[in-house]
Amino acid sequence: MNSLTVYLFVALLLFCIGMFGLLQRRSLIGMIISIELMLNAAGINFMAFNRFLGPDPAVGQIMVLFIMGIAAAEAAIALSLTLALFRKLRSINIEHARDLRG
Amino acid sequence: MTAAFPYLSLIMLAPALGLLIILFLPHDSKRAVRWVSLISAAVSLLATLYVWQAYDRMAGGLQFVERTLWVKSLGIYYYLGVDGINLPLVLLTSIVLFTGVWTMWDLKHRVKEFFALMLLMVVGVYGVFLALDLFFLFVFYDVSLFPMYPLIAIWGSTRKEYGALKLTLYLLAGSALILPGILYIYFKSGLFTFDLVMLAKAGLAPDVQYLGFFLFLFGFGVLAGLWPFHTWSPVGHVAAPTAVSMIHAGVLMKLGAYGVLRVGMYLCPQGLIDWAPLFAILATVGIVYGAFVGLAQTDLKYVIGYSSVSHMGLVSLGLATMTLGGVSGAVFQMFAHGIMTALLFSSVGHVYDSTHTKMIPELGGMAKVQPRASFFFILAALAGIGVPCLASFWAELLVFINGFKVYPVLGTLALSGLVVSALFMLRVVQKTFYGPKNEKYAGCVDIRSSMIWPRAILAGTILLFGLLPRLMLDTITVGVAPLVELFK
Amino acid sequence: MNPVAPSDFVLWLTLAAMWLPFISFLTIFFITRTQLALSLAVSVSCAAVSLLAAWYLLLGLPAAQPPVEFKMLWMAGAEARISYGFLLDPLSRLMLCIVASISFLVQVYSLGYMAGDDGMAKYYSFLSLFAWSMISLVVAPGLLQLYVFWELVGLSSYLLIGFWHHKFSASEAGKKAFVMTRLGDLGFFLGIIVLLLHLGDLSILKLNAQAAAKLSAGLVTASAVLIFMGVVGKSAQFPLLTWLPDAMEGPTPVSALLHSATMVAAGVYLVSRLFPFYAASPDALMVVLAIGTVTMLLSSTMAMVARDIKQVWAFSTVSQLGFMLMGLGAGSYFAGVFHLTTHAAFKALLFLCSGVFIHHFGSNDMYDIARGGGRRLKVPMITITIAGAALAGVFPAAGFFSKESIMGALAGLPQPGWLAAGLAGAAMTAYYTSRLLFVLWFPRQIAAPHHEEHGHGEAAAHSAFGYWAMGVPLLILAGFALVLGFFGDGILNFLHWGRPPEFFHHVWLAPVSLILVACGIGLAWLEFGRKKAAQAGFLSRLPAVEALFANRWYMDAFYRCMLDYVVYGVFSRLFTLNDRRVVDGGVDGVCRGTVGGGWLLSFLQSGLLQYNLFTMVLIIALVGLYFLVMH
Repeated sequence: MNSLTVYLFVALLLFCIGMFGLLQRRSLIGMIISIELMLNAAGINFMAFNRFLGPDPAVGQIMVLFIMGIAAAEAAIALSLTLALFRKLRSINIEHARDLRG
Repeated sequence: MTAAFPYLSLIMLAPALGLLIILFLPHDSKRAVRWVSLISAAVSLLATLYVWQAYDRMAGGLQFVERTLWVKSLGIYYYLGVDGINLPLVLLTSIVLFTGVWTMWDLKHRVKEFFALMLLMVVGVYGVFLALDLFFLFVFYDVSLFPMYPLIAIWGSTRKEYGALKLTLYLLAGSALILPGILYIYFKSGLFTFDLVMLAKAGLAPDVQYLGFFLFLFGFGVLAGLWPFHTWSPVGHVAAPTAVSMIHAGVLMKLGAYGVLRVGMYLCPQGLIDWAPLFAILATVGIVYGAFVGLAQTDLKYVIGYSSVSHMGLVSLGLATMTLGGVSGAVFQMFAHGIMTALLFSSVGHVYDSTHTKMIPELGGMAKVQPRASFFFILAALAGIGVPCLASFWAELLVFINGFKVYPVLGTLALSGLVVSALFMLRVVQKTFYGPKNEKYAGCVDIRSSMIWPRAILAGTILLFGLLPRLMLDTITVGVAPLVELFK
Repeated sequence: MNPVAPSDFVLWLTLAAMWLPFISFLTIFFITRTQLALSLAVSVSCAAVSLLAAWYLLLGLPAAQPPVEFKMLWMAGAEARISYGFLLDPLSRLMLCIVASISFLVQVYSLGYMAGDDGMAKYYSFLSLFAWSMISLVVAPGLLQLYVFWELVGLSSYLLIGFWHHKFSASEAGKKAFVMTRLGDLGFFLGIIVLLLHLGDLSILKLNAQAAAKLSAGLVTASAVLIFMGVVGKSAQFPLLTWLPDAMEGPTPVSALLHSATMVAAGVYLVSRLFPFYAASPDALMVVLAIGTVTMLLSSTMAMVARDIKQVWAFSTVSQLGFMLMGLGAGSYFAGVFHLTTHAAFKALLFLCSGVFIHHFGSNDMYDIARGGGRRLKVPMITITIAGAALAGVFPAAGFFSKESIMGALAGLPQPGWLAAGLAGAAMTAYYTSRLLFVLWFPRQIAAPHHEEHGHGEAAAHSAFGYWAMGVPLLILAGFALVLGFFGDGILNFLHWGRPPEFFHHVWLAPVSLILVACGIGLAWLEFGRKKAAQAGFLSRLPAVEALFANRWYMDAFYRCMLDYVVYGVFSRLFTLNDRRVVDGGVDGVCRGTVGGGWLLSFLQSGLLQYNLFTMVLIIALVGLYFLVMH
């Protein structure tokens, strides 16, 4: 088992935990945290491929920096949406926001 | 041949310009809205008359051509032109638009939106008649259909939401067949161009033509009121306000027949030859069936709706004969029927507006109350039953002669529809307009002098082309002759 | 004989005769309708010019000159080329003259008859339209032009029969006339198409000269019989004869026009126009003869029991048209045309006289008129007697000669049955005509002279002008009805370009038919004329037969049934139901199905984002698994 595979397994694990959290949690905060986990899994993948396969070390790092930036922006928007929802519903449980039910 | 001045664009864009101006006008300036609509319609009409007069009948072919590349990678051209086939239909559109706008002069409710939508619809109609590029043709086709929904649903009567929805869904179902048809031809031709003229020269394989014509026949056929896809037409006509009925029955139904002719028959002649027997049978059933169903109706507009089904059946029969006379007759019938139906609806519209009913048993004796409205209705009804020296007689004559020549049995059946249609039209005339003066409606005013003119223009057109059919037929034959060569 | 082009003078003269009535129609209808006097002046003067032109064309041109033909292209659509123009040969010149004369006289007469009617200007414009279409029909050089104006004649009579359209019966009669003749025209049109497709040229001269050589015998017969269907409708022959008696609902001058020179005459004219063509097919001639005979006998029986004075003349028209067709069917061109000519004069006269009575007494019933003192009106009373004598075929009135020539033609046939039918018809004609005249002449009780109210403004109608406007045409027509018979030989020569065929005279025929006519008159005298007569016909002793005759052999009832039960009851109802239920129901069903499907699918939308996401992941996982397994 070479070291790239180890990193990829860690990233996979992280992604699956994030996915599980996203699907299972009903609280918006929990879902945001899960999304962060998934983004970080992607970041680990980038770094791992960059370290072991990439000819130019800079590309992967740039991508990771982008991901971190996007994650921060996304967290800001998501939290403000959560806040807005909380103001409206006095709850951040998304089961209370099922207006799109058919 | 390229024209120095883009007359065709002028015809098409004058209503579009009017539409833009109307959108910028304030809501309550109804007068200005009406005038802008009428003037833009008049500009189109004048330009059409110029083109009609300047079209060189000796040379024939496409004239006043405007062709610019629009999207190179897809092979889309802004390509306009007129020949003997679409010239009469453009003239028809201009006349009906002009008279229709004038007829709706007294509209009170949401004037701005009404005229804006009507102009939008007409831009689409002009586009379909003038465009020689399949892409543009299809886009304009849908542009002309969509405004029907709000026009009927907002300003209509009698089950208007139902009628509007039915009509829109039906017609869009039709265009759902046309788009695959166009793309099918586009890819199968291997030319990667939407240029109709080039596609026609491509010489498509017989099996491609077979499927292509099928799609076009039923896609456009829905709009042409081809039996059994006709039931949207009476329902829609009944629900629509007067001018919309005029444009709809007068012009829009012709789009369907024109589509079958220009796209279907032009691109897939072999396909028509294969499908012609079915086409002719459906057409004949439509003629006879429409007349018989019309006999049982009690609503004036339903009667006209079913007479349209019957008359459009004649157009289809003419197209299915694949002969010079038959196809020319069909084109002439499109023109004649358009004018005639517009006149019928505009007279009925007046009767309905003043009496608030269009049920035949409640009316009667209207000739004494409203002699002008009655005169116009009766004239149009007589044109409808094929009285000579009124425009549609010649068209019917040609269609019947050639129909009988190619399909003797169907032709005879269709001919018998003539008697039934005479019976039902005269019955309507008798029950509605004849009889003792109806005191209930004694106070209803007749068409006032300034509103006679739109009707008079329509009536004059019927008489003019009825007395001098060559004015129309010579042009049509020039356009149809090369098309018919494809079927030899 | 090859046709020649007209000289300029003839060209313009004929065009004037053809077009002036149309110009007058347009002018009155669209411009001068509100000015009555001007409208009347326009209409009558146009008719007068047309009349003069027609007489000049009849008498001014040499009799034996070849036919004059003028054509220009009216419509060209591939095979069907309709030319517009005129053909002047003896037949069309004669007929043109008849039409122009009768329509002029009717217009003059209507000045009195229609005075005070508020639609008078419109009435005159329709009369002009009628004259235009009939004149253009008569001079048509081609079958298609003839058909065009044939339909227009139908339209004009629809408008005029239903002129008083506030009366239900009038509008109903107009509609019936139009639809029934349309039914016949169907055949006519089919016949034209058949000829057009096989010959390519429908010029009447060529058709007459070449059809027999170019077409197979079966085709000639088929197209001739099809065309004859149009004649059956237009000339009110069996089985389409019932519209004509109803057409009495129109103003009486219109009936005069309709019955003598225009509408119904058009049918007989068509057969004479195409006579050489018909003669090429003995079978077609036999059909013409048989239909003519049946019609003649049937309508004579109907006339014997009618009480309405106009109805009697209407049935007599039908039977006289039957006579003309018998003459033509028996192979005598001259006999048919000659009877058409004389009939035009005396039938117009009969209607115009009756119009005076109806106008004066406000009733159509002959007994009412007689009781009201009809015989005090001297001019109409004398002229109606002359016309009646002509109709009955009494020597020396015109009808005697023309009927005699038809009998001569019938006697030439190998089967004696036709002649017997013809003679029986002549006797019946004499009976019903004299029945009416005796009732008028010898009323049982006469009321005191009175001036009751009736339809139109009296002041105008009773004025001297009105009286003479109505009286002068009567006198002129009476003159014709008396003397026309003596021109028989002249017309015979004229029609055959001066070379009449061998005409076989049966010496015994004239006495025999005169005796039969006398029998008919005698019977009528016994029942209606003599002092103690009960004024009830022998048929009143046979109620069943009388009912049969009075109900027109139940033909109307049959048509009513067909219309109600077959057209409305079966086809119309069935198709409408199909439209509502099957076609529309199917479409609505599809729509409902779509809505229902959407409703079912909507249960999948829980509104919880995570279910959607879960489904997505699941599907991606499955797709991934699929690819993993496949490769």
